[in-house]
Amino acid sequence: MSKPKKKLRLIAFLGMSSGHHAGSWRHPDAGSSTDIDYIIRLAQKAESGLLDGMFLADGYSGAGSRLEPLTKLSAVAAATKHLGLVATAGTVYNEPYLLARQFSSLDHISSGRAAWNIVTGAGSAAHNFSLAEHPPHSQRYKEAEEFVEVVTQLWDSWEDDAVPADRERGVYVDRNKVHEINYAGQYYSVQGPLNIPRSPQGRPILIQAGSSEPGKELAARTAEAVFTAQQTLEAAQEFYTDLKGRLAKYGRSRDSLLVMPGFAPIIADTEAEAREIEHELNSYVDQKKALDVLSERFTINLNDYPLDAPVPLDKARQAEEFNGIQSRHEAVLDPARRGNFTIRDLLYRANGGHGHFTFVGTPLQVADFLEFRLNANAADGFNIMPQLLPSGLDEFVNKVVPELQNRGIFRTEYEGTTFRDNLGLAYPSNQLHRAAV
Amino acid sequence: MSVNQRELSLNAFYAGTGHHEASWRVPGPPLDKKLNLQSVIDVAKLAEHAKLDAFFLADTQGGGGRFKAFEPFTLLSALAVHTKNIGLIATVHTTYNEPFHVARKFASLDHISKGRAGWNMVTGGVEGSENFNRRNQTRFEERYDIAEEFIEVVTSLWDSWEDDAILDDRANGHRFDESKIHEIGYEGKTFKVKGPLTVSRPPQGHPVIIQSGSSDRGKDLAANWGEVIFTAQLSLKHAQEFYKDVNSRLNRYGRNPDQLKIAPGVFFILGETHEQALANEAELNSFVDFENAAKRLSSRLDIDLLSLPLDEPLSIENATKADNLNGARSRHSLILELIERESLSPRQIVHRLAGGRGHYHFVGTPAALADHIEEWFVGEAADAFNIMPSVYHRDFPLFIHKVVPELQRRGLFRKEYKGTTLRENLGLARPGNSIKRKQAVA
Repeated sequence: MSKPKKKLRLIAFLGMSSGHHAGSWRHPDAGSSTDIDYIIRLAQKAESGLLDGMFLADGYSGAGSRLEPLTKLSAVAAATKHLGLVATAGTVYNEPYLLARQFSSLDHISSGRAAWNIVTGAGSAAHNFSLAEHPPHSQRYKEAEEFVEVVTQLWDSWEDDAVPADRERGVYVDRNKVHEINYAGQYYSVQGPLNIPRSPQGRPILIQAGSSEPGKELAARTAEAVFTAQQTLEAAQEFYTDLKGRLAKYGRSRDSLLVMPGFAPIIADTEAEAREIEHELNSYVDQKKALDVLSERFTINLNDYPLDAPVPLDKARQAEEFNGIQSRHEAVLDPARRGNFTIRDLLYRANGGHGHFTFVGTPLQVADFLEFRLNANAADGFNIMPQLLPSGLDEFVNKVVPELQNRGIFRTEYEGTTFRDNLGLAYPSNQLHRAAV
Repeated sequence: MSVNQRELSLNAFYAGTGHHEASWRVPGPPLDKKLNLQSVIDVAKLAEHAKLDAFFLADTQGGGGRFKAFEPFTLLSALAVHTKNIGLIATVHTTYNEPFHVARKFASLDHISKGRAGWNMVTGGVEGSENFNRRNQTRFEERYDIAEEFIEVVTSLWDSWEDDAILDDRANGHRFDESKIHEIGYEGKTFKVKGPLTVSRPPQGHPVIIQSGSSDRGKDLAANWGEVIFTAQLSLKHAQEFYKDVNSRLNRYGRNPDQLKIAPGVFFILGETHEQALANEAELNSFVDFENAAKRLSSRLDIDLLSLPLDEPLSIENATKADNLNGARSRHSLILELIERESLSPRQIVHRLAGGRGHYHFVGTPAALADHIEEWFVGEAADAFNIMPSVYHRDFPLFIHKVVPELQRRGLFRKEYKGTTLRENLGLARPGNSIKRKQAVA
């Protein structure tokens, strides 16, 4: 008897409404980031392609205007039925009690489709939250561990059957099935219980995105999916094996954690057409400004070099110098380290991918790539980041998905009703109640 | 509001099965074991059908185990997709929250709803602080100082983008007019916030700001910032006094009564006839878990109600005076006054508070409720009402199908929405940009 084919998990990154490419906003067809009707249409398109979910990144500082993720996803929830809804939220600048109830509420509103992408947060936000400076990397992760513990315990503070809603017996909420958590840690002290019952998925899905050492350990301990950025097959396989190998010591099975690298495509019927789109998008980017930004990773300014000169790797900063996203720093520079990258190559890769893997080609080529990585133990699925929207999502749903279905590596209908059903993740039993017994 | 051109506003104050604590026990549709979004959507749509100004969701910071409800921002965003004209107001507390988050979420909700968001700003009682012990423990004592800073930061952040900061000039590559996006550089005692906000200026300029505190500090905060004030007033006379008091504080802040709508709640038990309404009230009383309700009230009043003759007028001499309490001061004094004024017995006060929780308690026919609303509106006791059906599945449809048409017939309430935003519903002007104003003066 042959093993059933491993299937791809696909989540659409729709955080930048015009597309992942830095120049996409200038494209005539690109949508606006505060237009909820447009965002809902994108989500419905993703759902028509049977994608597992959609994902929004987030931050609490910086330039630009976009809708806040949880309000945005709640609106999308009201207009979709199966699509999973992933919002990023940072631990440093949030309160666990408020975050726990917001995600639980989204899970209720969506009938079981909420997921939290756990990040600690970027340093530039400190000045919006009355903090003199961003906490250092190691402290952020220690706090984050406690934060996640508080949130999951709060999600378990109501037992599954705490609401008998029984008129005859005269009991609506069974107070004996609602528990304080009395969490007293080094950074957080929270009594609970939550003021919202246990949600349809038991708990929203936990996703994690930091690829540093403490980030990977946090993921192995608590996360159910990991978003990551790798440029080469080797790096992807290394990361995959590393993560999966950390699970056993936490009593977890290998398929309880999904590894999902980013994939930022430009898709067209021919390679030439796809390259044309790439060229057009890059022409929209203010080259000098983009090189200034990229130069933050170097001790020199790349604008002072010819565009087609090799990347001056000897002038690159070390990851440790960054109190930012260390793994992203490596991901951005990695392709230059491995291949003969010119500054132009590096710039284009950064414009389109911001550290994620970019791909320019036909639907068949995309399907080949995804299938190959799936079967090479390099990924369980992908975070698809079309460089241009809405056309990139249309191409993916209309042309790539049918190809994947034909190969038997993607669903032909939704298996169930919740995000956990889509991703094949188990329903989490109530840890808090078990401990109390 | 001033007497000229006043228009009545009505808000549907949402409360699950009803505002009466025993509402769920009255025979009716099956009870929801899970949170039911569709039932909330149905209420919002029915309210919109009757042209109500807003849907209002109250909220708590804790009190888990007794209270189970959707979180405000997520719920209102979902409702925004299913409605078009009705305003969407939620209580959001300040004491343990961050102004950047509140500003951003409300701005986002205002965009999503195309200009229908409203913020009922509440400092909160003691309950809930145990869920936020990362915060400084003195935040509760400082909550009004914190609230004043909080709202200044939030409104400044809403102004950090000028209305026309987005150019979207794709041909020339100019996305924003950087000169129209401003840091706010706020430095107060509790908050230091640089900004700018990461959402462009909300369609309404600012989501409508509602205030709820009835203490002295609360009334000042309302007079300074509030565009609507929610309040609980137990009699016409009290309501008129409050109305006059709040309006008299406005010119201290350079404002006038047209900029503030005063909205008491009206809790109601309806019946097709007066006798039916009384019977409905008796039925609700019979479902009250009397012992537990009496115990709760006993600890608030510091009188052991269950040890007294339950059906004789209660003496309040020994009750805890409002000064000793932590939070919810004004509601407490209302209760004591009510007991004294109507010579209520322990049983009566327990039953009375199981419903309106200190709001005006109406029992009667739809026509009589219309009379009450008209009397208070015309008598300058209210510009608006938070309508509080005792049992939602029975009283809310009666209100929509019998009371509202009567008010429309009397020329007191709108027959059509005049605009598409909450501000237009309420007759409130769109605020200018304070950052631009400061620049002009400098």
